[in-house]
Amino acid sequence: MDSPAANAAFAKQASLTFPLLSDMNKKMLKSYGILKGYDVHDDTFEWALRANIVIDKQGIIQFVEEGDSAVDPNTALTMCTTMHKKDAAK
Amino acid sequence: MKRTLALGLLAAAALAAAPAAPQAGKSEVAKMSLKVGDTAPDFTLLSDQWKTVKLSDYRGKKNVFLAVYVLAFTGG
Repeated sequence: MDSPAANAAFAKQASLTFPLLSDMNKKMLKSYGILKGYDVHDDTFEWALRANIVIDKQGIIQFVEEGDSAVDPNTALTMCTTMHKKDAAK
Repeated sequence: MKRTLALGLLAAAALAAAPAAPQAGKSEVAKMSLKVGDTAPDFTLLSDQWKTVKLSDYRGKKNVFLAVYVLAFTGG
């Protein structure tokens, strides 16, 4: 997992405007079931799946995408726009 | 996406050394345990600005887009 310092450098390089988080002890990855073990020869390695998760203001998961399809964030972003419009209409 | 907080979770460093083509293991096909409609487990993580970010801080305020992005090659 990348350190906050490494993430800061990347955020600056890519001019990102949202926070990049570090899960150094893999606690969040485990609680979300994203950390997976892979058996390689006689050993097991752990790393995370790619995932896009949209959580609404009530803390309920509204969208989940994982694996190869999660490389493209557009479906999740569309979900965010829809939720935003629904919020605005209230 | 004005009212949506986007959070990126990068995990490149630990993964860069991982074999590019691991042999299929029994757990490789495992799926994420959470699904739509579940309550998102709370978490507290450090941001790139060394600030504590807690999911529950956004409860009732913002929708959250959480992107878990491995092998992002941040150089970290």
